Amino acid sequence: MSGISFKGVTKRFGGRDGEVLAIDRVDLEIADKEFVAICGPSGCGKTTLMRMAAGLDFPSEGTVAVGGKAVRGPGPDRAVVFQQFALLPWKTVKENIGFGLKCRGVPAAEREREVMRYVELMGLTGHENAYPHQLSGGMQQRVAIARSSVLQPDVLLMDEPFGALDAQTRVVMQEELIHLARRNPRTVLFITHSVEEAVYLADRVVVMSRRPGRIQETIDIGATRRAENWEAQAIEDVMDRDSFIHFRTRIWKLLRHRDEAAAAAQRPARRA
Amino acid sequence: MAWRLSRRAAIGTATIGASLLAWWLLTAVTGIVGPQRFPSPAETWAALAQLWDPGYAGGRLPQQVYHSLRLVLLSFLAASAIGVPLGMAMGLSRRFEAFINPTFLLLRPIPPLAWIPLAIVWFGLGDGGKIFTICLAAFVPATINAYVGVRNIDPIFLAAARVHGASSAQLVRDVILPGALPLIFTGLRLSLQASWTTLVAAELVGAFFGLGRVLNVAYQDIFPGMILVGMVLVSLAGAATTMALAMVERRAIPWRAPL
Ligand SMILES: Nc1ncnc2c1ncn2[C@@H]1O[C@H](COP(=O)(O)OP(=O)(O)OP(=O)(O)O)[C@@H](O)[C@H]1O
Ligand SMILES: [Mg+2]
Repeated sequence: MSGISFKGVTKRFGGRDGEVLAIDRVDLEIADKEFVAICGPSGCGKTTLMRMAAGLDFPSEGTVAVGGKAVRGPGPDRAVVFQQFALLPWKTVKENIGFGLKCRGVPAAEREREVMRYVELMGLTGHENAYPHQLSGGMQQRVAIARSSVLQPDVLLMDEPFGALDAQTRVVMQEELIHLARRNPRTVLFITHSVEEAVYLADRVVVMSRRPGRIQETIDIGATRRAENWEAQAIEDVMDRDSFIHFRTRIWKLLRHRDEAAAAAQRPARRA
Repeated sequence: MAWRLSRRAAIGTATIGASLLAWWLLTAVTGIVGPQRFPSPAETWAALAQLWDPGYAGGRLPQQVYHSLRLVLLSFLAASAIGVPLGMAMGLSRRFEAFINPTFLLLRPIPPLAWIPLAIVWFGLGDGGKIFTICLAAFVPATINAYVGVRNIDPIFLAAARVHGASSAQLVRDVILPGALPLIFTGLRLSLQASWTTLVAAELVGAFFGLGRVLNVAYQDIFPGMILVGMVLVSLAGAATTMALAMVERRAIPWRAPL
């Protein structure tokens, strides 16, 4: 049982020129094996939320719990795909992907087998002995995804994992992620800027407002997805459906509306 | 790559060749620079032959070079073996850094050569005092760069290692050490340079053997040819050790992107 629970979470960052309120009283319950996507403008605190679930940052107020236990630090039940990839530059593709397995003491032969399976799965064959700086951004991102996925964690925390991929690879990876999620479901917190991606992948989409980050609305997609059996269809067919377009438009409006309201609030202040 | 290397080598050879030609023209052919100011190629060659056989200032060329090289390498290795772990420990632990830093701040402004009188009082004119002095000079850049190297590691790498299960020991071995390695080597290069300058200075003050001793005796004998030979030998030995260190560095940091 590995749900994620944010209860009254506020996060402030202390800086030299005052405090930044990054997250403001967020409540969010992610059920075990649920796929939740977070959408929101840049700087609204998406990464901060994810880092608190990962145990890399801690709330100023409120509690973050995974599997019913308050998060005290990183743990083997969770793995992270970082927005900046965060591959170790001094390790080859293979060593990066196998890093977590090595830390867990998985024997070399078994590690090699698992790593090579993911090298193939991620389309990295032929690059397994390259260093990260020798790869394109998209390839680096796939290594980062492989490094976390190979651990088969109960909870997968992904921060814009497909951001650096070209449109075609992105679609392939999205479909692959859906298949993986169906084969062995796990709890996923998935951050993205792409509204389509969020609607296509997630059971629920959480829309956040501009700083200070608050949850503006949560949109349930899972019921529709199951009723219309999206998973059996190609992504372009799903994106043509009325239900999909309806969700997409609604989220777009939420994001747009907030931005216009914020811009309007700023305009008189600028003139003064 | 091969093309670039060979072009670099060609330019380097051409520059050195042109300098040698100018030297020959200025001293031997035209006599613009008199023999009292700067030795001619022939005089320098004669000095070199004399150092080779029968020897000069208490030893022959291989002995003099060996003596200096041995002192530099011993002191450099000792300074690195102390300085790098010390700097890394300072980078890893704020408490340790707070404990060491005041001493470091006070000792750093003292020029290494200012330690020579004390070193002679403590260790006499033998090798001990020289190793002590060179170590003091060499260990400062090794320590500071190892410290900065550890502190400058991008925290995202530490985060990535931790969320994938790295223990503290694994963090040090797989993230902090390799992450700090480029700056550690920068420190070692500076240390090596400091070792040579300090060595020659220490041998100038008082020594029984070594290239500094050769320079000192040649100065007393007013023997420009031998002074030049001594300087060239220091320069060649220093360049050779620097190149060896660069080779070690390339092996130790195979992941570095070419600049
Ligand atoms: N370590 C920190 N110190 C100070 N402020 C921080 C820190 N980390 C984040 N912030 C601030 O908190 C806010 C939220 O940052 P966060 O990285 O969570 O945004 P984000 O939603 O992930 O943005 P993006 O979509 O651009 O990745 C930002 O205003 C940022 O400046
Ligand atoms: Mg972010």
